[in-house]
Amino acid sequence: MAVLNITYQGNSGDYDLEIDYAASDADIRRIAVEVVRSGGIRGLHLANLPDNAFANYVVDRLRAPGGEERIYLRPKVPFGA
Amino acid sequence: MSRVVFCGVGALGSNAALYCRELGAELRLIDFDRVESKNLAAQWFVKQSVGKNKAEAVRLQLANFYGHKAEAMGVRLGAHNAAQLLDGCDLAVDCFDNQDSRLVLSEAARVAGLPLVHAALAADGTFGLVRWDERFAPDREDAAGQATCEGGEHLPLIGLLASTLARAIQDFLRSGTRADYMVSLSGVLRTHI
Repeated sequence: MAVLNITYQGNSGDYDLEIDYAASDADIRRIAVEVVRSGGIRGLHLANLPDNAFANYVVDRLRAPGGEERIYLRPKVPFGA
Repeated sequence: MSRVVFCGVGALGSNAALYCRELGAELRLIDFDRVESKNLAAQWFVKQSVGKNKAEAVRLQLANFYGHKAEAMGVRLGAHNAAQLLDGCDLAVDCFDNQDSRLVLSEAARVAGLPLVHAALAADGTFGLVRWDERFAPDREDAAGQATCEGGEHLPLIGLLASTLARAIQDFLRSGTRADYMVSLSGVLRTHI
């Protein structure tokens, strides 16, 4: 099980309930839409979030040195600006 | 004294170099591009720098404003010259604005055994990453030729990301720590220590 962190429109937060670390990227994006719509992340509640809001987002799976598994759903960063 | 090479001194690189001026390290600056008026909105350049090579402009500003000596190389880093440009450095910092240059730099640093930290900004200016090369993979553009965020509206986030990058550099030089960060408008999150 893993903690899901979502970054959207400049806001970022953790989802309180752990999810399956091995879930597919598509599942993570679908779950994230539901989480944000339902207000599962404090400060990131958008009831009318479109289904495809995270279509171009990147799913990073990182394991902390302590063993904690975290999944980050984030915008792409193709540039250094 | 350690030597840090900044590859690309546009919005991220110029501001991060400014914040690294008191690290006690020699700074080498690489950028082939020239300062344009529009760059003043989000990059650490002054009006007098318009028309100058960006690496040379940052070098001059560090010298004139702070008395800090740096080395400027106004060339494009490529596979043919990367080893030369990185030679003698203890840390490379990737602030390029395109995937091709990032990949060339990453390969050159790996071949040379040179520590490399990347920093990148989302196109809409709401999010950024600091990530060490061992965990780095460049994201693909959503569309070819996607515009970068050039306006001043993103300057606060650029500043936050540049200062986070400077802190990552500082920690590495002091203790060898290689911490990754995610930066958004709601704060800075360390994602790997």
